Amino acid sequence: MADHRAVTGKARGVARLSMWLDRRTGYSTLVKLIVDEPIPGGARWWYVFGAILTFLLGSQFLTGVLLSTAYAPSASTAWASTVFIQDTLPLGWFIRGLHSFGSSAMLVLAGIHLFQVLIFGAYKAPREITWLAGLAMLGLLLAFALTGYALPWDEKGYWAKQVETGIVGTIPLVGPLAQRLLQGGASYGNYTVTTFCAIHTALLPSLIVVLLVLHILLVRKHGVTPRWGIDEAALARRTETYWPHQASRDTTACGLVFVVLGLIVIKTHGADLEGPVDPSGSFLARPDWYALPLYQLRRYFEGSLELIGTLVIPGIGALVLAGLPWLDSAEGRDPRRRKTVMAGAMAGLLGLGVLSYLPLRHDRADPSFKKARAEAGDRARRARQLARDGVPPEGGMAVFRNDPRFHSRELWNEHCANCHSFTGEGGKEAPDLKGYNGRAWIEGFLRDPQGRLFMGTANLEKGMKPVLGTKEELHALTELVYAQTGAADADRSLVIAAESLFSQKDCDSCHDRDGTGQNTGPNLRGRGTLPYLVDVITDAGDARLFGKRNKMPSFANKLSPEEIGELAQFVLLESSSP
Amino acid sequence: MSSVDLGSEREPGAGPRRGFLATLAGAAGALIGVMGALPAFIFLGHPLHAKKSSGRDEALPVATPDDLRVGKPLRVTVYGPLRDGWTRIDHARLGAAWLVLMADGRVRAFSAVCPHLGCGVDWNDKAGTFDCPCHNSGFAVDGRCLRGPSPRGLDELEVLASDKDIRIRYQRFKVASKAKEPIG
Repeated sequence: MADHRAVTGKARGVARLSMWLDRRTGYSTLVKLIVDEPIPGGARWWYVFGAILTFLLGSQFLTGVLLSTAYAPSASTAWASTVFIQDTLPLGWFIRGLHSFGSSAMLVLAGIHLFQVLIFGAYKAPREITWLAGLAMLGLLLAFALTGYALPWDEKGYWAKQVETGIVGTIPLVGPLAQRLLQGGASYGNYTVTTFCAIHTALLPSLIVVLLVLHILLVRKHGVTPRWGIDEAALARRTETYWPHQASRDTTACGLVFVVLGLIVIKTHGADLEGPVDPSGSFLARPDWYALPLYQLRRYFEGSLELIGTLVIPGIGALVLAGLPWLDSAEGRDPRRRKTVMAGAMAGLLGLGVLSYLPLRHDRADPSFKKARAEAGDRARRARQLARDGVPPEGGMAVFRNDPRFHSRELWNEHCANCHSFTGEGGKEAPDLKGYNGRAWIEGFLRDPQGRLFMGTANLEKGMKPVLGTKEELHALTELVYAQTGAADADRSLVIAAESLFSQKDCDSCHDRDGTGQNTGPNLRGRGTLPYLVDVITDAGDARLFGKRNKMPSFANKLSPEEIGELAQFVLLESSSP
Repeated sequence: MSSVDLGSEREPGAGPRRGFLATLAGAAGALIGVMGALPAFIFLGHPLHAKKSSGRDEALPVATPDDLRVGKPLRVTVYGPLRDGWTRIDHARLGAAWLVLMADGRVRAFSAVCPHLGCGVDWNDKAGTFDCPCHNSGFAVDGRCLRGPSPRGLDELEVLASDKDIRIRYQRFKVASKAKEPIG
C-alpha cells in the first residue's frame, strides 16, 4: 500500500481522488481491516471453503438477478418464461445452468465446510455463535434449493412441491396452517408461484446476507481456526496477512470452482426443464439429489408413523448438530480426543450416502420408472419445441395448441364428438368414423347401413336398406365405393365389374356418381376425399348429399372455411390411424 | 481436502513471493470477473437485437366502408397477432388508428400515436383537428402538423380498401424524431 514510487499524472489523480473519498468515508480503514487481517499460523488451502461459498453466493445473486429480468412468476407464465430463458434468450441456458448447478455446488461445498469445521473442532467455544450462524445458513441454502426447484413450474418442480407441502401439512397443530400459507391457499395456483418466488428472491436473500455478515464478523473476531495442537507462540510467529497470502488461495480456488461449474453447465447444456404442469396428469416425482435421503427415510415409516421419517429424525439430527458445542465435552480440538463426534460425523455421512443411493438403485431397476421418465422427456421436448412459436396467454399446457392437430382435435371435440366417434364402438347419433375410408368400413356399411357403427344411431327417415348379394358382388361394390376415395390400390377390374351391379342392385335409384346429380341419397362422386368431407361438414343437407333427410347440422356459419378444411383433414388422418 | 500436509509450516512470505501471490490473486479475480460479466452482458443484450414482434406485414381488417363518413374521422382498434416475449396472442389489441374518408372517396389511415412522445391523439370535432392531449400538438385532417411540439405530422399507414372491408398495415414508428422510422 505504502509504495511511494514515482507516479504518473494519472495515478496522482487517482491517489488524490481516493484521498478525497477517504477523508469523507474513511473507507481505507475498512480496506486495511480486510486486507491486513492477520492469519495466525499463515494462509492455508483448507481455509478456502468459506471464501468459495461466499463467492458462489455472489454468483447466485448475480445469475438470480439476471434470471429475474426475464422470469414471470405466475401459474400461467412461469413455465413459458423459463422456456424462453432456456431456449430463446442468448446464453439463457448458461445463466440458468450456472444458477441451478451453482445451488448444488453450494450445498456440496457447505457440506465440506461443515465437515472441516467438525474435524477442526471449530464449533467449540468461543465460536458457538459462528457455528450456529453457519448451520442456519445451511438451512437457508436448503430452503433456497427447495423453493427454487418450484419456480420453473414444470412437471418435476410442481409434483415435488406437492409432496413437500403435503409433508408440511402433516406436522401436528401448525401443519395445515403452514401448508396453506406456503402454497397461498388450499391448492396450487398463481399465488403459490408468487409466494415461492417472494421467499426465494426476497426473503431468503435478505436473511442469508444478515447471517453471512454475522458469520464473517465472528470469524474475524475469533480468527480462523488453525490446526489443533499448535501452541499460540508458534502460531503468532507464522502469522501472515490476508492479502495476498490467503487472498491468492481464495481467488484461485474460486476461479477453479467457477471453471469447473462452467464446464459442467456447458457439458449438460444447463439444467433440466420438464414439460408444463398438467394438474390432471401424473409424474413420477423425485426430489433433487440433496433431498433424496429424506425421501428414502420417509419410506420406512408408513401411516401415522410417517412423521418419524419426515420430521422427527431430521429434526433430531438438526438439533444434535446445533447443540454440538455443548454436547461435545472433550478437552481441546484434537479429533483423536473427540472420537464420539468423529464417529457420529462418519456415521452421518455414511447414512446420508446410503439413503441417497438406495432410491437411485431402486429407480434404476424399475422399468416402469424408466418408461415414465422417457414419456415425460418426450412431452418436455415436444412442449419446448412448440413453445418456440410462443405460448398462448393461458400458459403451460396451452402450448400444445400450437400443434395443428391439437387444434383440430379441439374443434372435433367441440363440434363433432357429441355425435361421431373414432372408437370403433359406434357414435352417439352418427356413424363411427374409425376406418371410414377402409374397405372393411365400406363393406360393413353396405351389408348393414342401419347398424350401430353406421347410420343406425342417426336414425334417418327412410334410410338406406342393406345391399343383398353374394360375397363377390359385395366385394365389387365395396371396391367401387372405395375407388371414389382416389385410393391408388383400388382394383380396377373389380370396379368395372361393379358398374353393372350398381344398377342391378338398385343403388342408382338413390345414388348418383357424377358429382352434380341431386338424388335422394348422397352423390357418391369423390366420397371420402378431402373436398367431399369439406362439403359434408359445410352442409350435409345439400341436395347433392343427404338433402331433406339430413340431420347433421350445417357448419357453414359456425366454422370458418379454414376450420372446416382443418376438420376434414383431421377426419381423414384420425379415421385411418390404427 | 488433503490431510497430508496438515503439519507443514512455512515461513511468512517475503518480497518476491508476495508479489507473485498478489499477481495470482489479481489474475484469478480478473478471470472470474470476465467469465462472469461476459455471459451476463450477452444475456442482458437480448432486447437490443430482438426481432419485430407484432403486426408483421399482414393487412389487418379494421372497419367496413359503411362505417366511414366524410369529415368524421373514425378511431379503430387494430387487432392482430402478437409475439410478446414468451407469449403468443393470436388476436391482440395492437394499437389504434384514425380512418379518414376523403371527399374523393379515398380512405387514409393515421396512427393514433402522437409522433412527439407517443400519447394517443383524439379528434376534436369542433376545431376539426387531431389534438394530442399530452402536449397540445395539433394535426390537420390530412395528418399535417399544425401546432405544438410534434416534430412531424401524424404517421400515415398503408390502407387496403375493398367493397367488403378496410384493412391497414399497422406499424409503430420512432417518436420524437423528424424522420418517420418504423420500429422493430
